[in-house]
Amino acid sequence: MLSLRDLQQRFAAGLSESAAEPLTEWIRADGIPPSARLAIYRNNLHAGFIKTLGLEFPVIHRLVGEDYFRQLSLAFLGCHPSRSGDIHHVGGAFPSFLSERFVGTEYFYLADVARLEWACQECLVAEDSEPLDPQTLRGIPADAYGGLRFTLRPACRLVHSVFPVMRIWEVNQPDAASDRIVDLRSGPDYLIAMRNSRVELCRVSAGDFELLSGFSEGDSLGRALEAALATDPQFDLAAALRRCIGLGVFAQVTPQ
Amino acid sequence: MTANAVSAQLDVDATPVHRANLVRRQGKAGIGLRAQHHAEIIARLPPIGWFEAHSENYLAAGGTHRRQLLQIREHYEISLHGVGLSLGSTDPMNRAHLNRLCRLAAVVEPIFVSEHLSWGSVGGTYLNDLLPLPYTDEALRHLRRRVCEVQDALGRQILIENISSYLRYRCNEVPEWEFLTALAHESGCGLLLDVNNLYVNAINHGFDPYSYLHGIPRRAVQEIHLAGHTVTRIEGCEIRIDTHSTHVADDVWRLYGDALNRFGPVPTLIEWDADIPNLAVLEAEATRATRMLEAIRAVAA
Repeated sequence: MLSLRDLQQRFAAGLSESAAEPLTEWIRADGIPPSARLAIYRNNLHAGFIKTLGLEFPVIHRLVGEDYFRQLSLAFLGCHPSRSGDIHHVGGAFPSFLSERFVGTEYFYLADVARLEWACQECLVAEDSEPLDPQTLRGIPADAYGGLRFTLRPACRLVHSVFPVMRIWEVNQPDAASDRIVDLRSGPDYLIAMRNSRVELCRVSAGDFELLSGFSEGDSLGRALEAALATDPQFDLAAALRRCIGLGVFAQVTPQ
Repeated sequence: MTANAVSAQLDVDATPVHRANLVRRQGKAGIGLRAQHHAEIIARLPPIGWFEAHSENYLAAGGTHRRQLLQIREHYEISLHGVGLSLGSTDPMNRAHLNRLCRLAAVVEPIFVSEHLSWGSVGGTYLNDLLPLPYTDEALRHLRRRVCEVQDALGRQILIENISSYLRYRCNEVPEWEFLTALAHESGCGLLLDVNNLYVNAINHGFDPYSYLHGIPRRAVQEIHLAGHTVTRIEGCEIRIDTHSTHVADDVWRLYGDALNRFGPVPTLIEWDADIPNLAVLEAEATRATRMLEAIRAVAA
């Protein structure tokens, strides 16, 4: 007698390895071979996985084409099967998978494009929040500024790439002309992905990016400023804060 | 129907059971809620009985879809239909997933919360599908514990739906209807009867769907699903696949009529998940179900 646990393990193994089918003897044929019955489930699994990944990474899909995207998806499924009952989580490891696969090749930029797409996905479903009211900063004494901690809004992600990923993303949107040429040497890009009514990308300077990266890691204003100045000795903090507040990047500011 | 008329039917203070009874008495079929219809529903407030949301599409902390669901909830009753809890899995219960479902249910206050008679994960790997269980005593005891665990967490009864399946295990000890009946009896869950799944299975596996209908206690079925399926050939053998990609088949409408004769005017929902058409097409399917619900109510009266 097969235990329920054993049955489920054999079923899963039967879906991942088309050659070995450890469950077939436990399935009734009824006119269709058990292996063909399991193949229906394997096809469902593959089709669902490829479709979900395609919805999460439409630019990668468009860049590599349907056939190669299917191949990539199934290779990804083989080493990163879903670990969640929420199918919206399946693509989290896809950027690092692409990075390992294409390191040292001319397609390495795909990993960064995928990272940007996943950042957009995260923005889509992040907690809703209002941008920081600039008036909040008015009452803060100047000597307290160094200890301030700015929190980024949940629906905000920072993406850096040596490649021009924003341009690649833009020319591969559904309504964009497909014959645009992007020079892969025209990077780097320092980007904010943020959702208001929809997800939008915004290019910022290396200094602004360094400042925001510090904030996103919990650094105080003083510490984040040091990192920004190390990147850009001309960095103008007041102007950077005005820009970031204007963009609506911050959720709140707390002293110390 | 005006927006106010729709709103007036909602009584947010009433219990889910009371509100489900109102939906049942009102006798209008519902539609599975799909993101591409959100904006139109909010703008037009079509005369639909209620909407059913796939829980997993709204578990996220925020975002447009979740906000739209809550807007729609202001005008309609909502049921939550889960596809990812992997109820029949022998892995430990995914408490993180269950907790997210509880938080969503607390906000939506659904008339029904349902899941499937299936499993979808083992060893922490999710196959993201509704996979068939063997109908054994061991599986029944396992399911009973799991259903009770979910009901305890939610603080309410859940409904369990029969799935379509493309294989049967040699170790099955009882037919599916006996398994479901025992599960409902022992766990206190209700049943969600998917008439299309029943039809697809009856044809694919060669059993009598009427025996199935008559094997289930009258009062156990609290919701009915209708959907479309397609026919394909595998190894020269015809097989029906539950695609949710087309109109409800005529044979399924007939079987639905038989189900209504047995179970009464049970709240009925149209599902369509692939090649999703305009809302108007779904409304027309729902209207057909509503007419059949009206006919059965007239007989009962």
